[in-house]
Amino acid sequence: MIDRTKDPTAADDASVLAKRLDRRRALGMLLGGAVAGTQAVAACSPAVPLTDAEREAKQLGWLEYIKRNYRSMSDEERRETINRLERLAKLQRGLDVRIQSSGAQPGVLFGYAFNISKCKGYRSCVEACINENNLDRRAGTQYIRIFEMEGGEVNLEETDATFQHEVPVEGHFYLGTQCFQCADPPCVKVCPVGATWQEPDGITVIDYDWCIGCRYCMAACPYWARRFNWATPEVPADAVNTNQHYLGNRARKKGVVEKCTFCIHRTRQGLLPACAEACPTGARVFGNLLDPESEIRWVLEHKRIFRLKEDLKTEPRFWYFTD
Amino acid sequence: MTRAGRVSRLLSATLALAIVGCGRDGQRSALGTVGSSHDAATSAAAAPGGVVVDTGAPASDTTDRIQPGALPTVAAVSVVGWTGPGGKPFEVEIRTGDPVSANARRFGTITLQNAARERSPNVGQYPCTSCHLGRAMVLRDERIPDAHRNIQPLHPAQTGATCATCHAPDNVELLALRSGDRATLDHAYRVCAQCHFRQAESWAGGAHGKRLDGWQGRRVVMGCADCHDPHRPALEPRIPFRAPTLERPPWRRP
Repeated sequence: MIDRTKDPTAADDASVLAKRLDRRRALGMLLGGAVAGTQAVAACSPAVPLTDAEREAKQLGWLEYIKRNYRSMSDEERRETINRLERLAKLQRGLDVRIQSSGAQPGVLFGYAFNISKCKGYRSCVEACINENNLDRRAGTQYIRIFEMEGGEVNLEETDATFQHEVPVEGHFYLGTQCFQCADPPCVKVCPVGATWQEPDGITVIDYDWCIGCRYCMAACPYWARRFNWATPEVPADAVNTNQHYLGNRARKKGVVEKCTFCIHRTRQGLLPACAEACPTGARVFGNLLDPESEIRWVLEHKRIFRLKEDLKTEPRFWYFTD
Repeated sequence: MTRAGRVSRLLSATLALAIVGCGRDGQRSALGTVGSSHDAATSAAAAPGGVVVDTGAPASDTTDRIQPGALPTVAAVSVVGWTGPGGKPFEVEIRTGDPVSANARRFGTITLQNAARERSPNVGQYPCTSCHLGRAMVLRDERIPDAHRNIQPLHPAQTGATCATCHAPDNVELLALRSGDRATLDHAYRVCAQCHFRQAESWAGGAHGKRLDGWQGRRVVMGCADCHDPHRPALEPRIPFRAPTLERPPWRRP
């Protein structure tokens, strides 16, 4: 008979049990053992040799698997998961990525204005967006769509966004859409697991590790702004943008939804989104809606503006204007 | 990943645990044979849910950001005669021959392909006075027949302007304003704004043209001639970047 009060293992167990354990933390402890178990199995069968890197990746993968929703993580937990993700990128792809977790700046609410008189349909913004946000090259994912509209036309449903000819075409104007970061986002309302939410600076973000891939948000979005990863996104290692954000352009998985985040990793640092930076015609204006001296406010106060599907009361923070 | 996938992975992991041993003692003896994995596995058990991995790199700070005004930016001069939103002064970029400051705009994946056209070779590299006699618009004896060959004077042809409408006849390095003032090439917007005052108003406000480097801090915008060739201002048609694939990828279709 073992004296359980003197067995150090038992004492460990007792102290662990004495703590308040949530389900996730308890699973984590169980999995800590499970990882060791799988390694032991692997060690017994020489047919499945694991290198050190593989073993570490597997272990990190398990810990990633049981982490919590980004919003309920403490700063410490966020730092840990980011360290794990950065390490995994190094182990699995040899990439030195840097993942930010920067929060919203106080007193900042992002807004966007798009000049339909200026856009020429070059799609330079699309190209920049793909490169900046590590979009799936194989599936050809694009966040931005540019519609070629006949003068006077307003119906996006019957408009071509897949034109591939010399632009601009006489008598046409070009209208770009992407995620409008609505003030009252229907996509957030329908998410059954709370994997998508609106940040204080107005950007609606997704926790890719919490998304279950139900695609309710895609059905709810009136602007077709969200994209689904039917397969694991493929980005060539030399094309990966290593400046990443946890809620933005970090590596996505198969079976999760993604969308434009106004380049959260750039805009929270005071930079312009990649689309606005790349636009050769200056059709894209970006700024802080709460700053009365910002360019976006000047545009909203001095130009004729409209928004898409205003009757839906989603209140997009994305305006169109004309010269 | 689907919920069913998660559950099955959990089950298999628990199964593996059960196979190896029925308690922590069993695990430990098994681990003893694994060798180098021992440390990693014990640390996982010691701090479940959050192993601090020493990657050698500094941990990501949750508050790090570039302070406004500290952005790598272009050389610029203060705009004369126009103010931005709220009456705030702003700056217009100047192109220098310095590749360092030119490359300072590289940030992330965005390169210098901003302008709709590349500006003609730098005036600093080919001073006007190397061909023009003195400062006046009079040529030296040895004329280069194809000087200014890149200039297609469509704009003056359409408006009835001559060289001296915009260029100062008494000084080839300066531009002439209708008021009799002179402006340097850095302030070419002052010449354009004499007729295109509506566009200049929008430009000063931020609706026309392009702001560089960021939405925060110092406001530097591109000048008129950074996008528009002054002698041929219309933007050229071009073939757009590839069209989107809007359908579900064919290799996944049932």
